[in-house]
Amino acid sequence: MTLVAAALAATALFPAAAQDAARGAALAEARGCGGCHGAAGISEVANTPSLAGQPAEFITLQMILFREGLRQAAPMNALSQGLEDGQVEDLAAHYAALTPAAPPGRGAPDAALAERGQALSDRLHCGVCHLPDFSGRNQIPRIAGQREDFLRHTLAQYRDSQRRGTDTNMNAVMHGVTDAEIAALAHFMAQQR
Amino acid sequence: MMRNTIAAAGFLAALTCLPGVIQAQQPAAPPAWAIGREGSGMAGTLAPHAPRLTVTPPAQLPLAAIRLPQGFTAEVYAHGMPGARMMAEGPNGTIFAGSRTIGRVYAITRNPDGTTRTRTLLQGLNQPNGIAVLDGNLYVIAINRVLRFDNIEQNLDNPGSGTDLTAAFALPTEEHHGWKFLTTGPDGRLYTNVGVPCNICDFNRDTHALLVSFRPDGSDRRIEARGVRNSVGMALHPVTRELWATNNGRDWAGNDIPNDTLHRVRRSGEDHGFPFCVGDWADPGAPSQRNCSEFVQPAALLGPHVAALGMRFYTGTMFPEAYRNQIFIARRGSWNRERLNGFDVVVAKLDAEGRVTAIEPFLEGLRDDANQRFLGRPVDVHVMRDGSLLVAEEQFGAIYRITYRQ
Repeated sequence: MTLVAAALAATALFPAAAQDAARGAALAEARGCGGCHGAAGISEVANTPSLAGQPAEFITLQMILFREGLRQAAPMNALSQGLEDGQVEDLAAHYAALTPAAPPGRGAPDAALAERGQALSDRLHCGVCHLPDFSGRNQIPRIAGQREDFLRHTLAQYRDSQRRGTDTNMNAVMHGVTDAEIAALAHFMAQQR
Repeated sequence: MMRNTIAAAGFLAALTCLPGVIQAQQPAAPPAWAIGREGSGMAGTLAPHAPRLTVTPPAQLPLAAIRLPQGFTAEVYAHGMPGARMMAEGPNGTIFAGSRTIGRVYAITRNPDGTTRTRTLLQGLNQPNGIAVLDGNLYVIAINRVLRFDNIEQNLDNPGSGTDLTAAFALPTEEHHGWKFLTTGPDGRLYTNVGVPCNICDFNRDTHALLVSFRPDGSDRRIEARGVRNSVGMALHPVTRELWATNNGRDWAGNDIPNDTLHRVRRSGEDHGFPFCVGDWADPGAPSQRNCSEFVQPAALLGPHVAALGMRFYTGTMFPEAYRNQIFIARRGSWNRERLNGFDVVVAKLDAEGRVTAIEPFLEGLRDDANQRFLGRPVDVHVMRDGSLLVAEEQFGAIYRITYRQ
């Protein structure tokens, strides 16, 4: 039993020792990630996601999917080439450690639109996987306070089968959701926090 | 260059099979794995565990946690292969391992000093989980894609893009439960599965929830078994040549129902009951209710939600005689259960008539009950020619080798 317990302490599901936020910060600086995603991980660029406070596992998985050509999203496929697995984990640790916040240019809430979005979120059970505060967990991203234009773009991509996650769950969730519904959902999520 | 070509082709294949997903779903339906969750009474936050897609350093592998019966020892055979899953061995001893999310096929060779070398042989494929070697040729089944790589062990550094047999096999295109297990029979045929494209639903019982076999060129499809929800493990008995298979039970029926099952196929084409029955349990979620005595009964119950996957008969001589022709089964471990179950390797003990008399633990220690965490997910087993047993562990991308010494 003692042996097992010792092994447990050393090997969490995602060993912490493999990730180093400081190394990740240096790498993000060197690679110019902040040019699009924001110096503090809060994006001010249209259709480009904020990464601050994203679960490390989510960032890692997406970076691997970019690098392996399993998710196509220019310019990330090219930018991810040559990154070692450890570097990807460092980047993920860096962004996961940053404090999430709404983008500076976030518009004022539209109460009626947000209400429709919330109803849709309830119907689609978004909070089951993304958690009730939409902060994400494991491979499932934080969507609270994400850029509204990026959410609209991404949700439409899932609906139109232009993108998959590590599985096809989001494609199934979004099937048949209209553009107007996506706009409401994106607005609601973007206004969280 | 070749790897890039394959990556691009794999992506196109992924795109072309997505319409199949859409057809299988109703508008605004919950994700396929979540159908049946409403009203199940089970924790709403239960969701599949994601794999780790980055290399785990060998020092962080949970080797010290592994427990085996007296006389058995585990060592790390190969590591640094994120998502490594189903295994097959070439005539010269190369071990091939497929994967799911990361889209790779790995090749593991032995160096003269006994250490191993791993290569990423193929990449960019859509869940290339089906792996088999027949007459020196490697067969890979990704979702809706069948490829053959001739004389693979002579081409490990330059496998090329393979011969595309997709049209000949004409497998269904759905993504959900669309990944394959693949093995060979002594009859020279390829044996695989067609999973059901949902948790439980009304589906075509002539095209889905099947075990099927083909000639290696994809011709002469034969239904070996019907009503098998999603088998990701099968093997032919070394003496009787009967096909045996593991099967994943459905989700959201409760923490302890139904069981995953082991199936013995005595006659090709018989009906094993899905979606109507698991053993004598008539599933209330089935499209209609049927008498369970209509169906072939499972050879054994393997535990609820354990995800019983790769299975092989022990045909070696290194292990004690009691293991000969018994079945090693990798249980990847549960997600649709409030307390973890599985995350181990068990042995199905058979008597002389091929009846399962017990399911015994073999490899344990990867499930941490106290903290409800897991240290690894065994997904396949493989008997090497020296009688040692390989165990592929998906979460940290390692293959362990188990040996026995009196």
